[in-house]
Amino acid sequence: MKKDAKIEEKFKDFKPNLSDRKKIVLGMGVRGFEKLFSLKNKSILFLIGIVYLWTFAFYLLLGEDSYPCKVVSDELKTCTHLNFYGDLQQGGTRIFLVLIAAVASSGLIANDLTDKSIHLYLSRPISRMDYLIARIIPIFSLMLVITLIPNLAVFISQFSKSGLDINFLTDNRWTMSNLILQAIFYSISYSIIGITFSAAIRRESLASAGFFGSVYGISLIVEIFYGISSEMNMEYGEYILLLSVIHFLDIISYKIFNVNYFVTIFGSPELVDYSSSLIVTLYVLLFSSLIFVVNYIISKMEVSK
Amino acid sequence: MIEANNVIKKYGQVTALDDFTVDIPKGKIGILGPNGAGKSTFVKIALGLIEATSGNITVLGENLDKNSIEIRKKIGYMPEHDCIPNKMTGVEFLIEMGLISGLDYQTATQRAHEILGYLRMGEEKYRLIEEYSGGMRQKIKLAQGLVHGPEIMFLDEPTSGLDPNARQEMLETINGLAEISDTNVLLSTHILQDVETVCDYVIIINNGKLQIKEKVKELIKRQTDTIQIRIGENSEEFLSILRQNDAKRNIEITERWIRIPYKDDNSFKEIISAAAKANSQLYEMERVAVTMDNIYLEVVN
Repeated sequence: MKKDAKIEEKFKDFKPNLSDRKKIVLGMGVRGFEKLFSLKNKSILFLIGIVYLWTFAFYLLLGEDSYPCKVVSDELKTCTHLNFYGDLQQGGTRIFLVLIAAVASSGLIANDLTDKSIHLYLSRPISRMDYLIARIIPIFSLMLVITLIPNLAVFISQFSKSGLDINFLTDNRWTMSNLILQAIFYSISYSIIGITFSAAIRRESLASAGFFGSVYGISLIVEIFYGISSEMNMEYGEYILLLSVIHFLDIISYKIFNVNYFVTIFGSPELVDYSSSLIVTLYVLLFSSLIFVVNYIISKMEVSK
Repeated sequence: MIEANNVIKKYGQVTALDDFTVDIPKGKIGILGPNGAGKSTFVKIALGLIEATSGNITVLGENLDKNSIEIRKKIGYMPEHDCIPNKMTGVEFLIEMGLISGLDYQTATQRAHEILGYLRMGEEKYRLIEEYSGGMRQKIKLAQGLVHGPEIMFLDEPTSGLDPNARQEMLETINGLAEISDTNVLLSTHILQDVETVCDYVIIINNGKLQIKEKVKELIKRQTDTIQIRIGENSEEFLSILRQNDAKRNIEITERWIRIPYKDDNSFKEIISAAAKANSQLYEMERVAVTMDNIYLEVVN
């Protein structure tokens, strides 16, 4: 009886002090990130380990002196921070980045939709967009861990090699801001693609396979077709590359570094030029459409039981 | 507590709520209606999950058009369908829901344990939800709605899919929690007995329209159990004989029928004996019970 009376008092006396939406959303995001980064996710930790080992081996130990960019020809320059996002044969970590994004993002919304717990989350004091942001934060943060931190490590290592010369920092101030911008750009792009697949496919394993296939698989196919069109001197053949998300993101990434974009087709580099306005417009259209699609899927889910 | 004014909600060609107007007082309120009547739609609109096509709703004095998200801090929601994550333990899930409601970690943890303790979930709370029985899953669904100490709790078919024992336990739990936490309850159900057990007020909806809003006690008073007879001549003498047996008896007389309250099966013998004494011919005699079910069906149909 005494115990029951105590419980009653506790229930009656409970005066909740609830925090605001921003804190709730940030908290959801941080907890989501902790889950992704936990020991339970061995496959993700393993892939992150590979990215760091790769960076250590190819960029810190075997890093070239020409930093940040090396002139290949009058028109072409290769830059360390662009190569990082490139193919394996160029010392890039692209395949791992796409794989991590695919695996880590696949369950973020899919699980909430499958077990329908999204109904409960959206009955709390958060909007649909708050929920989306809360689900993007974990994958965005994880992507920053594998894009920004390795690149910053390379920058710091170069600074260290320069004998901690302050002139190095002033000379490379744009490199630093560009590599931060580039990391944020890739991270947010892969995060949005990830949650779109997660919401649209609703099954964790299929969503990650769909992401990887659509992003990495298509990039390989597109490269082959681009190679053929280039051999045949087809007019507007370069626009085929825009069908591949990876190439599309790379084009913008090169523009961030203010370097001419080139692709390596059948072993030789080929310069490709697109107008900035076209690329920016396409990017805004594509990614705002993806957000719209996810928002629509969730709104449909809210109405149904 | 909730005021709805001329609320219309359409899903394509289907009208779920049709010019729905109601003023729901504080307390334990039942929204009753057959499947597809518009109950869940009303609950979702009141919760700000979906928007009405037209009309407006105020919850606890706040207009949902302006404040549909912040108001959810004061509302708890237990949906009808199964919607809890299987890969978490009961206590983990409750803490998470507390945090998403805006509680800090310490309070959410403490509150989760208190509620699960009240629901008599001992060691089970540390098991994965996928291992829970139907009754336990319903308890967790109820608990998550209460974790942040809401002023109103929306319960959408809380006894759906439960066996009679689990159903009884769930209703007692709802009653108990509502009493001790001073929480207002809005119980949406198609089961009349659930409303009778829990609620002070009942609102009956059908085809998206309000059919009735009344105190449950008043509705119960409408219940009658009578023997309806049609008699030939000497009806006055017949009635006076019946009244001699029991003066307090409330006999209803219409042009065609005489209705005598049914006590037990001896009432039939008493009527036959009185008719024989009065030399009256009994043309028809049948027991007519007006139960809550009859009232509900009459309103709904």
